[in-house]
Amino acid sequence: MIALKRKTILHFTLIAAIIGFMLAVQFQTTKRPIVRDTRDIWELRQDLKQEQELEQQLLLEIRRNDEKIQNYEQNHLADQQTALQETVDELKKEAGLTEIRGAGLILTIAPFYPENYVGPIAYTVSPELLKRFINELNMYDAKEIAIANERITNTTAIRDVNGVTQVGNAKISSLPIQVKVISDDVTTLYNRLKVSTIYDDFVIENLQLTVSEPMSAIVIPKYYREWQIRYMEAVKAEKEES
Amino acid sequence: MWLPFIGFIIGVILGLLTDWRIPDEYSSYLSIAVLAAFDTLIGGIRAHLQNVYDENVFLTGFFFNIILAASLAFLGVHLGVDLYLAAVFAFGVRLFQNIAVIRRIWLAKWMEKRQKS
Repeated sequence: MIALKRKTILHFTLIAAIIGFMLAVQFQTTKRPIVRDTRDIWELRQDLKQEQELEQQLLLEIRRNDEKIQNYEQNHLADQQTALQETVDELKKEAGLTEIRGAGLILTIAPFYPENYVGPIAYTVSPELLKRFINELNMYDAKEIAIANERITNTTAIRDVNGVTQVGNAKISSLPIQVKVISDDVTTLYNRLKVSTIYDDFVIENLQLTVSEPMSAIVIPKYYREWQIRYMEAVKAEKEES
Repeated sequence: MWLPFIGFIIGVILGLLTDWRIPDEYSSYLSIAVLAAFDTLIGGIRAHLQNVYDENVFLTGFFFNIILAASLAFLGVHLGVDLYLAAVFAFGVRLFQNIAVIRRIWLAKWMEKRQKS
């Protein structure tokens, strides 16, 4: 009986050991290995630079807002109104509700066909290409953009409506169209556009992009529609306690 | 009596020391194998307490259950049905039942002891 018992215990021990082993392996499997940081020194530097730039930008913004607050607090009632008005104007400008003049470029998108071309003819520019194009322009520090005299704002949608591309509310159903771009540094924008690969993307869609020489005065129209504001409402003016 | 626990701990230590890792797609097999092994172990303890313990049943049950569970999981993967859940369910229920039986037996033994003293 005792011998059997010992054997039994031995078996139990063996099985328990196997279970323990399996548990440990399973535990190690489910425990994810720590993700190693494999960035090299240049990538680290780049990341650091990016973060520093962001910090700089945020600091700048904070300073500007601080100044504004000071303005509000320091000045008297009348001045407060002007300060508010200034802010409103500034915001309007930022939202694209004002006409903007400045140095910039005019780009023309026109159909482009090789000689004795046979095939479908493009009447519109695909939304994907236009979005790519706008991204490209923004990458080159374009400040304001208007496509076919439609101001591009933060909420302008570029989409396909029944086969015709629509930018905001303007249909692009006939070519050529003009794209106006204003930038603080037109020469750089111009030079960068010159070497851009976006031309090839246009050519694939049988379109040609031509860039004008930098011009000193370009007018970009304002966003002429009403803004739909759904999630904001005006605060009712509280009575000032004198 | 303490030998199984020591064995368990030795197994865990060995497993941690060898630093083995199973590919992700096989980890469900291992988990179900662990469950099956547990089920067998608890079942063995219960049988032992009920004096119906049989070595051959215990040992064959251990390996057979593991293989069965793993092959069920394998079949489930290839059929696109989570069949391993069936094994999880069966083993889980049995585990609880066996543990309940063990608890009752221990409780009865303890009560008996207390009444005697």
